[in-house]
Amino acid sequence: MIVLENDRLEFRFPEVHAAARCSIEFQRTLRIPDDGLDYPLPPGLGSFPLRHLDDYAARLPEAWQMRGGVIAPMHQAEAMWINFHSDYPFAVKVATGKICAITGDSWVDRLNRDPQDYAVLPEQPWLDGYCVEEGVIRQFVVMQLGEGYTVEEQLTGAAVHGGLQLVAYPMKAERYEALRLEWGGLRDDVMYSAEPVLEDAMGLAPGGRMKQEIYNDPYGLDAWDQRHSSRCFVSLLNTTQWMAITGERPPIEPPTAKDYAARGLPWFDYYGGDARAVAGSDKLRGLRSIAQQAKTTGQGPLTDNETITASPVVALRKPRPVREVARDWA
Amino acid sequence: MTRFGPTIRAIRERLREEDRRYSVRQVAGRVGIEPAYLSKIERGEVAPPSETTTVRLARELGEDPDVMLALAGKVSADLQTVIRKRPRLFADLIRQLKEAPDEVVLRVVREVRDGNW
Repeated sequence: MIVLENDRLEFRFPEVHAAARCSIEFQRTLRIPDDGLDYPLPPGLGSFPLRHLDDYAARLPEAWQMRGGVIAPMHQAEAMWINFHSDYPFAVKVATGKICAITGDSWVDRLNRDPQDYAVLPEQPWLDGYCVEEGVIRQFVVMQLGEGYTVEEQLTGAAVHGGLQLVAYPMKAERYEALRLEWGGLRDDVMYSAEPVLEDAMGLAPGGRMKQEIYNDPYGLDAWDQRHSSRCFVSLLNTTQWMAITGERPPIEPPTAKDYAARGLPWFDYYGGDARAVAGSDKLRGLRSIAQQAKTTGQGPLTDNETITASPVVALRKPRPVREVARDWA
Repeated sequence: MTRFGPTIRAIRERLREEDRRYSVRQVAGRVGIEPAYLSKIERGEVAPPSETTTVRLARELGEDPDVMLALAGKVSADLQTVIRKRPRLFADLIRQLKEAPDEVVLRVVREVRDGNW
């Protein structure tokens, strides 16, 4: 089951194990330049508000009501990253527009190992974008559906789903118990189709390059309890829609990367120890980034995209790396 | 003396074994309090801090803010607001569920509905 607590999705599987719980939130961040350079990890500037879609169903299109899940407000061309919290091991699949962010394949309700289409928690603390090379991702950037930027549109030629999709599978209880003994109790605690586009729907597109590893599953497919899973569709609203529908003010726009860097605020790098990283996806690597797409379609250069010097870079390590900074910016 | 201070210290020291950023000085700095004040909190020499500081401390240490507030003998302001708005309903609900096992309580928690997609 999933419950919504303080803008976090709390996944719980008491039927599998009392400790089987993890939480997932979406962090606001600045958009790194999409200039071909590899940047370190940008900061977290606070979490995006999340609300039950059902609470506002009467004001949303019927197709959205079918999805269930939650709604979140995001500014056009705003970036985000996914923050995972878990002590219990989980396999989590993340898709945007029903395209897997790790493999670029279409959504399926099961785990695949070859290639691995899921992140392993708690080894994976964050996911910032699409896995385009081993150790390199392209940042998640929110763009309006129908303009050809999103991964969904580039890979399927259609702008149907948008948003973001998640499913979490807990580790089998017996494997977890065996691991606990091993750990010694330490962790106890294209051409675009003419299909109708949802009015002003938002999706995610590949932005600038960032150094981030998606870790290889060290446990194997058999470790995950695929009889139990919880899914969530996160529908994205632009800020005008959000205010009209919920009556709440959305968070202010994040600073530009240039403004943030000018203040000398920190960037981050994460060392996951000996963990190996998965290879990037050929499908995702071949996509046009937002800057390339803007140029291709003659929409002019992307604004706020100047190359910057990202410094200082703070090295983060296990067990609880924290990237949230600078509350004043949030 | 509550268990709040020693619990905070135990969690922070466990984290510090693997990461020096969890020293008293650095944690206090990130939470926005004086290191001497954090030391006193940990030793139980002063009452647990304000709700805001307790929540920041909990998040900094990767702990659940509501659990830390409970250890500090507090209930978060947002929960108080919820109860005050419909006191009879929520008082009745809480009393009825006070001895119920977790799985029973979870049955009345509102789930995020998964639809057809």
